[in-house]
Amino acid sequence: MPAFAYEAPATVADAVDLLRRHGADAKVLAGGQSLVPLLNYHLADPRVVVDINDLPLTSVSAVDGRLHLGALVRHHQLGESSEIAARCPVLREAVALIGNVRVRSLGTLGGSLAHADPAAELPMITLALDGRFTLTSASGARTVGAREFFTGPLTTVMRPDELLTEIDVAAPPATGWAIEEIARRAGDFAIVAVTALVSLDAGGRVSQARLAFGGVAPTPVRALAAEDALAGHEPTAERLAGAATLARDALSPQSDAFVSGAYRRHLAGVLTRRALTRAVARART
Amino acid sequence: MKLLINGRTREVEAPAADQTLLGVLRDTLGIFDVKEGCGEGVCGACTVLLDGRPISSCLFLAAAVRGRAIVTVKGLEREGGLHPLQEAFVRHGAVQCGFCTPGMLLTALAFLETNPRPDRDEIRHALEGNLCRCTGYAKIVDAIEAYARNGDDRG
Amino acid sequence: MADATAVESGLRVVGRPIPRHDARDKVAAATAYAADFALPGMLHAFVLRSPYPSAKIVRLDTARALATPGVAAVLTARDVPRNALSTDVPGQTTTVGPLRATLHVLAEGRVRHQGEPVALIAAETLAQARAAAEAVDVEYAPLPAVFSPSEALAPGAPAVHDSGNLLAQWRIARGDLAAGFARAAVVVEGEYVTQFVDSAYLEPESGVAWIDSDGVITIRLSTQVIEHFRDVAEVLDVPQNRVRVIGTYLGGGFGGKEDVTVEVYLGLLALRTGRPVKMVWTRQESLLGRAKRHPYRLRYRTGALSTGEIVAQEIDLLGDSGAYAYLSALVLLYSTVTAAGPYRTPAVSVTARVAYTNNPPTSAMRGFGAMQTVFGYESQMERVARALGLDPVRVRAVNALRKGDTLPVGQVMETHVALPELAARAWEALGTPTSPRAPHVKIGRGLACNFQPYGRIVWLHDWSSAWIGFEMDGSLVVRCGAPDVGGGQASSLVQIASEVLGVPLERIVVHVSDSALTPLSGTTTASRQLYMSGNACLKAARELRAQLLPVAARMLDVAVEALEMVDGEVVATDGRSVSLRNLLAQCARASVPRSHLGVYHAPSGEPVDLHAGAGKVFPDYTFGAHAAEVEVDTETGEVRVLRYAAAHDVGRAINPQSVEGQIQGGAVQGLGYGLMEEVVLEDGINLTTSFASYLIPTAADVPDVEAIVLESGEGLGPFHARGIGEPPIGPPAAAIANAIEAATGARITRLPITAERVARALGLVS
Repeated sequence: MPAFAYEAPATVADAVDLLRRHGADAKVLAGGQSLVPLLNYHLADPRVVVDINDLPLTSVSAVDGRLHLGALVRHHQLGESSEIAARCPVLREAVALIGNVRVRSLGTLGGSLAHADPAAELPMITLALDGRFTLTSASGARTVGAREFFTGPLTTVMRPDELLTEIDVAAPPATGWAIEEIARRAGDFAIVAVTALVSLDAGGRVSQARLAFGGVAPTPVRALAAEDALAGHEPTAERLAGAATLARDALSPQSDAFVSGAYRRHLAGVLTRRALTRAVARART
Repeated sequence: MKLLINGRTREVEAPAADQTLLGVLRDTLGIFDVKEGCGEGVCGACTVLLDGRPISSCLFLAAAVRGRAIVTVKGLEREGGLHPLQEAFVRHGAVQCGFCTPGMLLTALAFLETNPRPDRDEIRHALEGNLCRCTGYAKIVDAIEAYARNGDDRG
Repeated sequence: MADATAVESGLRVVGRPIPRHDARDKVAAATAYAADFALPGMLHAFVLRSPYPSAKIVRLDTARALATPGVAAVLTARDVPRNALSTDVPGQTTTVGPLRATLHVLAEGRVRHQGEPVALIAAETLAQARAAAEAVDVEYAPLPAVFSPSEALAPGAPAVHDSGNLLAQWRIARGDLAAGFARAAVVVEGEYVTQFVDSAYLEPESGVAWIDSDGVITIRLSTQVIEHFRDVAEVLDVPQNRVRVIGTYLGGGFGGKEDVTVEVYLGLLALRTGRPVKMVWTRQESLLGRAKRHPYRLRYRTGALSTGEIVAQEIDLLGDSGAYAYLSALVLLYSTVTAAGPYRTPAVSVTARVAYTNNPPTSAMRGFGAMQTVFGYESQMERVARALGLDPVRVRAVNALRKGDTLPVGQVMETHVALPELAARAWEALGTPTSPRAPHVKIGRGLACNFQPYGRIVWLHDWSSAWIGFEMDGSLVVRCGAPDVGGGQASSLVQIASEVLGVPLERIVVHVSDSALTPLSGTTTASRQLYMSGNACLKAARELRAQLLPVAARMLDVAVEALEMVDGEVVATDGRSVSLRNLLAQCARASVPRSHLGVYHAPSGEPVDLHAGAGKVFPDYTFGAHAAEVEVDTETGEVRVLRYAAAHDVGRAINPQSVEGQIQGGAVQGLGYGLMEEVVLEDGINLTTSFASYLIPTAADVPDVEAIVLESGEGLGPFHARGIGEPPIGPPAAAIANAIEAATGARITRLPITAERVARALGLVS
């Protein structure tokens, strides 16, 4: 591994000051599950590694119908928190899909989001939840919505001097949820992943639907046309299938050496229909 | 730097910033309970328990340990004898080349802490992050199932 | 088992599922693998490799690298005393005619594959060695390249080697093919394509070398072949008795540690620097640098009568040797001999070729060419069965070889062929069919049988040796050169010695795998170790027993025939006994040696002309049958293996638990090959050099493999055992493909069978 300086600031202010000073020469270390492999394989060469694990960014709280999550909330905590289970169970469902038990021991919500792998579960889910990300720097803090946050594969709007400190997501009541995913092997990154959130009104019609994908584009994406097609209507099998087709047809996933774009597109359609069906069933219970 | 390993405090020179916990254990302390199989956190051969949770020591910077408790497979032994799960592995033929074995043992024990009566599928899912190339996993699952069924004293 | 000979009974230790001595060490992490070792003053070594698949080395200047901090040596081709490694057959044998091929330790003027070693560095730390590697000034001029065997054999293709791109060719022709096809009620044609895969053992290549007292270059490493000390000596231009290889307990081998890996580099650097040197590959380096399994294009034309009886097989095999020959010609030979499967084939033609390309080199891997052909011949068998509306088990039974039948290559089957019984048992073991859990899910079952040679080619005059000796207190020492790859090679010897000499297992210590201190016993490859060193150990034990018993007979005043060695004593039929301790003391007084070296020579033969179909190639074969039940998601193409049974006739299971473990592990490795493993190459560049991209099965990807162990009592190994290391890896891919066809009607002919391949075969993706 290349030689670098190791810093372990105790406060957010100290952390962002380090980032201000070193900018792109610094890398933030949270869970290490994405960064350290890059260091081990000499694919990253920072001058400074800023270990933020001592920062007080681990809280989970509900305020005004939104769930506020510190960036250092670990994956396993997403699965163990009763607050999350009560208010945002889709996050809990994601945990079993993330990596393996060791990744879940240390990996963080903030780390996964900042890393922005387009096939990862948490970026996709925060997009479905219309998450808001708080980016803190030495010059202040700003909030960026999930739709603006992810800009490309492993790329976000974050500046080199910014630290992702908090994420808040809507915790709407009476929502059905489902995540569908296909990977090449158990525990791997998804080939295609879909998150569906469906709320029904008193008459059983869809009051709100959210569909987000991973693995089909350079960033996680929402299926806005499909969402609109569902809103206000009864979620019959035909309508769900129609929405799945709309969602699929809006995608043009790339091929890589392992999986073709055409197959990803096909999966997107199938998984959307399945996710919507399960989400609706949950919403009805 | 102080490291708390298997209940004992070990003192080492402050590690280089880029040295991983795996590197400190093996290269500085000569603790070969942990193996390097991939350097990416995928294979599980470097597993240690950090405050009771399995982590990839190849992905953990040594400088970040901060005195937390580390357990390797040697920490499982009891009064110089093997832990009943280790005995179960031996008895059920769950060990062939043995490279994955320490990681399997630690992962299984951590899992059983919160899932004391798993079925075979649950055990397999719990071991999803520990690769084995020799056994096909069946006898590893046999050993863990037998240990979980018989409890701590017999294995 | 109509013509099987009686299985020996009355065994006390052999045949019992005894926990292995090395298992206790391994659960306690007490086993020191090759990387778990360090010496004072040790340097760290690193190989600089070519990034290009085909290039001329225009400039190679090490001056800057030598000036890098901490560097002790930077070697290139000109620093290697004899820069050539001959790869004919590893181990203790001689050249075999046209099968000798050479590769350079370090590239000389030209590189032929990505990852080819160009320079070798030793430094105080690994980081410094890597920094020095980056400071080596090397300039490449890319050359034309070729990346498929068919392109390589086309006129005008760039020549990978001056000798041309056709490396080896084998042919078999027997019977009247045209007449056979004319009689056939059905003719099935198929083209099957298999992929490059990696051994992917958990323990990467590692070793430490130093110069020991008396100037012996000692290399302690993870290897399947300690006889490579000769290769090291050759390269270093030192006498062979000045190189010692100590083989550690391996963290897996699977053929990937059969060729030289790090030993030559370590020897060179230890000699050059005079200091201990360590080399441990990263996973990335291992995936990039080690030889792969030969991919094949397999073309079959199979003719059968309406009874299912095969009357004609026309087979064409084309393999990829990658840039260097390594063991390709022999792998091709295994493919050629097994191409028609374990079946009577009255008219058969096999044309097999392997070509050089600028892909990564291919070499030995579990199954060694007899594994890839299973995908061809068992896909064909299933398709024949379907075309005729016949039960798959029945079709295997109709065609199975029997003892006394002749293989296409002209070899007569001399031991029992349990194929029909194996097929029936594997199929039955699947139990009641599972019902589909949803309308879009289809369930199907597939059968695949195979045969795999065990023991090396008879022309190689294989032999093995083992030494057994008593200490004065009656404890026993076994010494044998056999490397232990994790399959219980060492503990089998302990079990055999315990059986014959009546010494309790805990009173036996075994030392293996040291070229200076243990009698050589050949490679742990070719499913030969239990057969060969097991027989050598058995011989040593029996001969030692025969040495000692007359002394005991005199002590007890009984006939030798009235004595038994059991529980650390020698006991007469009338119940009187003498302790081993007393016996050994008496032996000392009578100058009777209390140790013995046993040497076992395998039945050997002369090379045959395959085309004339005249002879014996392998000593014997192990037969198997696997059955799989799969679930196919007809909307996504995902395949899940629900149930899996694997049946093999092992002759005699020396340790049934070890045998089951081999079957289960081999089957899962075969499932990986069938479902997910692939070295993805793009113009010779390896895109799968990490465990994140090169996928091997996890515990959640495969079901329990039910291992069914048949003991026919016929086999050439100790107590009539047969080799079981390789056979289980052969059938899974075909069993899965057959099950998918049964479930959906779609026939997959390319490996690995990914969800996308199934989706496309189902017409889901345009």
